Amino acid sequence: MNLINEKAIDSYVKNFNFKQMLYFPAILLAVSLLILAYTSFFVQGTLTEPGSPVELGMEFQGGMAMIFDSAKTPDQLKQDLAAYPVIQAREYGGVRKMVQFGPMTESALTEVTNKINSEYKNVEIRQMGEVVSKSLQGQALRAVLFSFLGMAIVVFLIFKTFVPSVAVVISAFADIVFALAMMDVFGIALSMGTVAALLMLIGYSVDTDILLTTRLLKRKGELNDKIKDAMKTGMTMTLTTLAALIALFLVSSGSYLVSSFTRIDIIRDVSVVLIFGLIADIINTWMTNLGILKWYMEKGTKTENRIETPKKRRQTT
Amino acid sequence: MNEKIPFYKKPRVLFVLLILLGSILVMTVSYNNGEINVGSNLKYGLDLEGGSWLQLQLQGAIAQVSADQGKIIQSEFARLLDDPTIKIEETTLNSITFTTSKQTTQKTIDNFGFGKSTISQAPDGGTRISLATSREYTIQKYLENNLKAEIVRIPGNQLTFEIRKTVTEDELNTILKPVDGRVIPPFTVGVSSETRDETKKILETKLNSLGLKEMPVRTVGNNYILVDLAGVDINTAREIASKPGKFEIRIQVKGNETEHVLYGTDITPGLPEKEKGDVWGVSFTLSEAGAAALRDAAIQYGAVTAPSSHNLIMTLDENVVFDAPLSPDLARNIQSVPVKNLVATTGTGDEGQQKANQLQIHLRAGALPVKVDVLGAGQVSAELGSKFKSQVLIAGIIALILVAIVVSLRYKQPNIVIPMLATSFSEVIMILGFTTLVGFQLDLPTITGIIAVIGTGIDHLIIITDEVLAGGAMPPDKVYKSRLTKAFTIIFSAAATVLVAMSPLLIMGFGALRGFAVITIVGVLIGVFIARPAYAEIIQGMLVEDNTKKFVDED
Repeated sequence: MNLINEKAIDSYVKNFNFKQMLYFPAILLAVSLLILAYTSFFVQGTLTEPGSPVELGMEFQGGMAMIFDSAKTPDQLKQDLAAYPVIQAREYGGVRKMVQFGPMTESALTEVTNKINSEYKNVEIRQMGEVVSKSLQGQALRAVLFSFLGMAIVVFLIFKTFVPSVAVVISAFADIVFALAMMDVFGIALSMGTVAALLMLIGYSVDTDILLTTRLLKRKGELNDKIKDAMKTGMTMTLTTLAALIALFLVSSGSYLVSSFTRIDIIRDVSVVLIFGLIADIINTWMTNLGILKWYMEKGTKTENRIETPKKRRQTT
Repeated sequence: MNEKIPFYKKPRVLFVLLILLGSILVMTVSYNNGEINVGSNLKYGLDLEGGSWLQLQLQGAIAQVSADQGKIIQSEFARLLDDPTIKIEETTLNSITFTTSKQTTQKTIDNFGFGKSTISQAPDGGTRISLATSREYTIQKYLENNLKAEIVRIPGNQLTFEIRKTVTEDELNTILKPVDGRVIPPFTVGVSSETRDETKKILETKLNSLGLKEMPVRTVGNNYILVDLAGVDINTAREIASKPGKFEIRIQVKGNETEHVLYGTDITPGLPEKEKGDVWGVSFTLSEAGAAALRDAAIQYGAVTAPSSHNLIMTLDENVVFDAPLSPDLARNIQSVPVKNLVATTGTGDEGQQKANQLQIHLRAGALPVKVDVLGAGQVSAELGSKFKSQVLIAGIIALILVAIVVSLRYKQPNIVIPMLATSFSEVIMILGFTTLVGFQLDLPTITGIIAVIGTGIDHLIIITDEVLAGGAMPPDKVYKSRLTKAFTIIFSAAATVLVAMSPLLIMGFGALRGFAVITIVGVLIGVFIARPAYAEIIQGMLVEDNTKKFVDED
């Protein structure tokens, strides 16, 4: 068995021109943006007051959540805890249940904490003040923006040419937008873990783009051969990473594999976002980025000559 | 050509082996009191060990203000004496004189706390009062009265105060307006670094007295404190942070036998200060009831006659914090009258001063200088933590196996696959060695970071492999070198984007994800500069050079 099907790569590179390559990712990007817009205008906010394009987790909204093992159904738990301001109670994988509370007095807080701690096993508690969570929202947004800008600047410094750099940045942008849209589709809220994963994705998803662009622009040889070689390497990279992430996702998701496993939120969040991001990355590197590069390189032989001798190119520009 | 040197003798490979050995040593061997112990030195975070954490915000603000001293005295005493006809006569640098139509006594005026007063009869029948006070102190007192909060002067800055309460700039301006005053920007929310450090120290002292050693109390900026409490549930954690401890004074009856004298509620602590000569001590005041209780106990157990065999013992939450006899003077005095003002001496020099500072914290019974708000909190039970730990290990192993399968399917040659996986694994060991060396805690975010780094690491090894083996065989040394340079151009570019993309996490969100960011950054650096160059040399040595192919067109 071969990991990479060379024949498939061959026929893809030979038979697709850059226009055909760009159709699919363009549609995907448009759909992703529509999902985010829909969430922002109709789920998290209204037309006049748009909300966040992804659901905000507890860390960004404030409140308190308790996660513990219980054989009771969420409804039973709600009844049990009727004396406290329960916002919601839900399944959290296997025997795990999560109960979210609204604001309450200090004595009620102590009481309910004691109750849960003494009655249930494997208790995890998270509490986040509203003021902090608001400031965290802003910080998260800034972190993602700075991270993306920083990445874009590094990419421009590496390639020093406009079109190839923009192609990389567009691909990375499309990866992130797709990952965010998939968070909406699969009901994954924005948490510290998902923010970390998004930043990771920003840095990570450009790996294959850099590989592709460097190989195509800075090497000699026949264009299609270079594309094929880059694709072989790039696909291997993405597939190994995906394999590791899928392992992480399965183990951290709780009782899918082994009934005694419990959900580990941060690892699950990070792996889910990266899995979607990398799936998008396969599409965006080998269709979006490659499509733009092909168009750029096929514009004329002049361009190609210039690129094949980088030293001369620098003198002429 | 390097053919004669086997790959395992090349400097880069040796260097990695050396660091690996060092990492393993750091992780497994510890030296303690002349004994060498072997065992895991890895430190785990609360989410793997079980425990609670708190994010505390210190309530306060720092502001420079201006105000008219005369107006303050006028309005404050108008209120205090219920007399709208207060007239300011004279203001000097350290005194202010005014008249009131009311009759009053020195004691009444002194009790208002604005300064020591001198009282005389005013010519027109009222009272003439002279207060020994400065402009600064007057403003401080005014703010204290109107904000009902403790106000502390910031030394070195003119008219700059720390307000130990949540207050906004507007609120402060409203209070200052009637006395021709205002806030001089900038107005800062938060407390001074001294206050923050004092709060931190008190928390640490409290935790130590509870036997919770090595509890990291971290500060973030000037108004946040993060507390980690291993093995403690969240309610206990909240209590420790917000409620004062139980302070008690006991008296030694005979040998180890002691009797209760009074509780901390009867004590008002003073400041640590130099007593006679170089002797440090902390003064404190007892309430009437407290003073009576101390006198009764001293007489009952014979401390008045034989002070040295009846020590006074102070405990905080049942831990002894001070243990010394009554001074002979005090023993004599206390026999005749209850004594309210006492000094606990702690010794001479720096050590005495340190002990005095410590004792003062204890006397306050661990009450914090400023109010703290619990911003965020969390708990993971110990059982859940160990479950997480084993599950993370399983996740890591499965991930490694899957990666091994994928890589084997692609390369099929053990000569490539084994060095690749070994390099990747060595990166994990080096990262763990680093975390142990700098005392970094392994928690779920950092472990996630390690896994992420390994993911990029494998990617880079694939880039190296494909680049040098282009055409399917090992090229001669010269071509190999040039291809390797090309591979590293890509790797360095890719690593740079990851580093830049992760850096915002270093400062975001009270450092919640700092561990994740630091590990990613350190891991990428270790990989790029140490492990991956060594891998390149290993595969060059492992693979047979192919001389049958032509490597044309390469420089």
